[in-house]
Amino acid sequence: MTSRPTTIAAAAVAALALAACSSGGGTADGPVTGNVTMVVPFSAGGGSDASGRAIASGLEGVTGLTITTENREGGSGAVGYSYFLGEEGNPNVLLAAETSLISIPLSQDVEFASTSFTPIMKLGDDYTLLVVPADSPYETCTDVIDAAADGRVVAAVSGAVSLDEVVFSLVEEDQDVEFDRVPFESGAEVIAGVLGGQVDIASLNPGEVVGQLESGDMRALCSFSEERYEYEAIADVPTAVEQGIDVAFAQFRGFIAPGGLTEEQTQFWIDAAEEFAETDAYDEYIEANLMQPNVLYGDEFAEYVAGNEADLATALGQ
Amino acid sequence: MLDNLILGFSQALTPENLLWCLIGVVAGTVIGLLPGLGATTGVAVLLPLTFALEPITALIMLAGIYYGAQYGGTITSVLISTPGEASSVVTTLDGYQMARKGRAGPALAISAIGSFIAAIISLALLVTLAPPLAELALGFGPIEQLAIMLLGLVIVVTFQGGALVRGAMMAGVGLLISTVGVASGFTTARFTFGSVDLLSGIPFVEVMIGLFALGEVLHQIRVGAAAPIRARFKDMVIRRKDITDSMPAILRGSGIGFVLGILPGAGSTLASFMSYGIEKRVSKNRANFGKGAIEGVASPESANNAAANANFVPTLALGIPGGATTAVLLGAFTIFGLQPGPLLFETQPALVWGLLVSFFIGNVLLLVLNLPLAPVFAQMLRIPYAYLYPIILLTSVVGAFAVSNNLFSVWLVVLFGILGWILKELDLPIAPLVLGLVLGPLLEKALVQTSALGQGNLGVVVTSPTAIVVLLGAVVLVVLPKVVVAIRSRRTPAEVGR
Repeated sequence: MTSRPTTIAAAAVAALALAACSSGGGTADGPVTGNVTMVVPFSAGGGSDASGRAIASGLEGVTGLTITTENREGGSGAVGYSYFLGEEGNPNVLLAAETSLISIPLSQDVEFASTSFTPIMKLGDDYTLLVVPADSPYETCTDVIDAAADGRVVAAVSGAVSLDEVVFSLVEEDQDVEFDRVPFESGAEVIAGVLGGQVDIASLNPGEVVGQLESGDMRALCSFSEERYEYEAIADVPTAVEQGIDVAFAQFRGFIAPGGLTEEQTQFWIDAAEEFAETDAYDEYIEANLMQPNVLYGDEFAEYVAGNEADLATALGQ
Repeated sequence: MLDNLILGFSQALTPENLLWCLIGVVAGTVIGLLPGLGATTGVAVLLPLTFALEPITALIMLAGIYYGAQYGGTITSVLISTPGEASSVVTTLDGYQMARKGRAGPALAISAIGSFIAAIISLALLVTLAPPLAELALGFGPIEQLAIMLLGLVIVVTFQGGALVRGAMMAGVGLLISTVGVASGFTTARFTFGSVDLLSGIPFVEVMIGLFALGEVLHQIRVGAAAPIRARFKDMVIRRKDITDSMPAILRGSGIGFVLGILPGAGSTLASFMSYGIEKRVSKNRANFGKGAIEGVASPESANNAAANANFVPTLALGIPGGATTAVLLGAFTIFGLQPGPLLFETQPALVWGLLVSFFIGNVLLLVLNLPLAPVFAQMLRIPYAYLYPIILLTSVVGAFAVSNNLFSVWLVVLFGILGWILKELDLPIAPLVLGLVLGPLLEKALVQTSALGQGNLGVVVTSPTAIVVLLGAVVLVVLPKVVVAIRSRRTPAEVGR
């Protein structure tokens, strides 16, 4: 009778051993071989998670490598980037980066800087929309500013140094008002807070809220972009500038590799990224998330990050 | 309604979808069974395998992994006191004691039956009432969540009746451990001593493996080899009386699980703890709780499964994930080009109803698989401990390593294994520690948010009637037993005098 349970146990052990051995990997020959991990510094289900998974599956398609996505959330992204800093020289990890790469070192005491890593590809730009629940008294962004000048407006932010926090700070500076902040940990949590009426306003990426906008549960008052969107669903949302608020700020999305890679390794990922940008998977990702397909690679991406950092530092008065 | 169900059946009953549903639930059971590998990891790891499938087929399989894992997590809890999932931690309390008495078979069977009934109840509610329920759940903001988590902690702390202080102490230890890492809403690291490994906090999977699996093995080694359990086959099969006895516990567990499952954040772990804590107070058989009461297995297992299924209410009706695994599933929706959100029911009726119907089919499959397998799994305890323990040790350590591919995890398991052994020697309850650790970050987040909503004043809590009711409930739970005891002791001498 003992044979059957033993077999089950042995099978369990074997399965675990397989799971344990399935990642990590040698880099003995060729610039990058073995399995690759895509680190997402935010929790599953958010915008960064979606972009990390899309990049991972796109790169899998063009490189033939196995790329698994790993969420290392915490500290508004600081945890993931700090972990990534410790992977210096390892070409088998990538990180789905966005503006927090710049905003975290600007505002917090962390060990990494925006230049600590190897920039590979900027996929595109993502702006935010100022959204309110359907039954909100506000009709325009000007209404929101007026309300904040007279009393209390509670804004949800998805992290202490996230894009929405940056946008709210810029608006506050431009209009000389103040919003109260309630910190959440993901776009999805912010949406629940807005729908539940716990907060008055939020600033979210179009891709995160388009479902709620189409259903009429939320309204978008203005977009923090230079020009109106071309996507049909949000084409009639005015820009903040049209409403007298001089704020437009893009969040980039892309991926980076750890610092200290060899030239071949860096080039390997840039080549893979260029190939990925030509695929249908890339177009689908950009369109599904209502983003702007402004692509940059390697050094150009690094220059963009440096420029963005200077803008952000001035904007935040640092 | 009927049209929708017919549409759902026509989608779910194709041979291909049935096959992938079966593959999903079996894979889920195995994933739940393995310490370390949880439903969230399982779905994330197997997600790429489904890219070649039709979206509905892929989602049916991925969802199958999710609820299948809820069944599998129980098996090791009962047999070797090592929960496969956090939501099965409470099941070890009575499940393992049942196994020690040779009743592992009925324990596993009742957990399958309870899980099945809970799933069917919550799915029926999901199918009929998802949109209004989701609206209701949205009313639970940070303030209400804070209140619920405090209530949960109180219920667990007062598990042991008289041993209030010990329960509170262990929950406190759990909360303290959870403060390691970066706090919610801030970027400052706490108690990390410069270690990057500690930045995301002490992961509770490793803690659980250490405290339960390794701790139990160390404890048994010190106690000395016990004889393998040789139960008669008659005892391995569940009796009708076991089922009728457990019915009230299963129904209460399903209710509690469903309510907590539709609320954001808390999820199936808190549901299982709260349901057990409440059952321990109201059950007819409450005196035997902790000593192998079958109701103590039925209740948390029904609750965690009800919560897991109820999690789909906000996920499908609003496009807001109810928990970590449903968040990954929502990510899968986007990868398949589907826009999750309130309009999903209208724009993708075939997919949504096919998926919902597949939940019913999957749960029937799980019941059919698990009932006959219960006595078979129970036979595992016939293995002499000299062989069983090395296997447990190996699976736990490999499991811990597999979670993060990091040797650091293995050291954590060893450390918490030793702690678990010490706690057992001191007869301190381990379950409150685990809940403290799981709830800690959620509690802290709700606290920070509540404080922000109140502009620094926690008095804002009184503006929420729901929160007041929940908090009063918590106070009653602490005070009432003492008052009852006081009244009884005052009455007894008088009655004797008469």
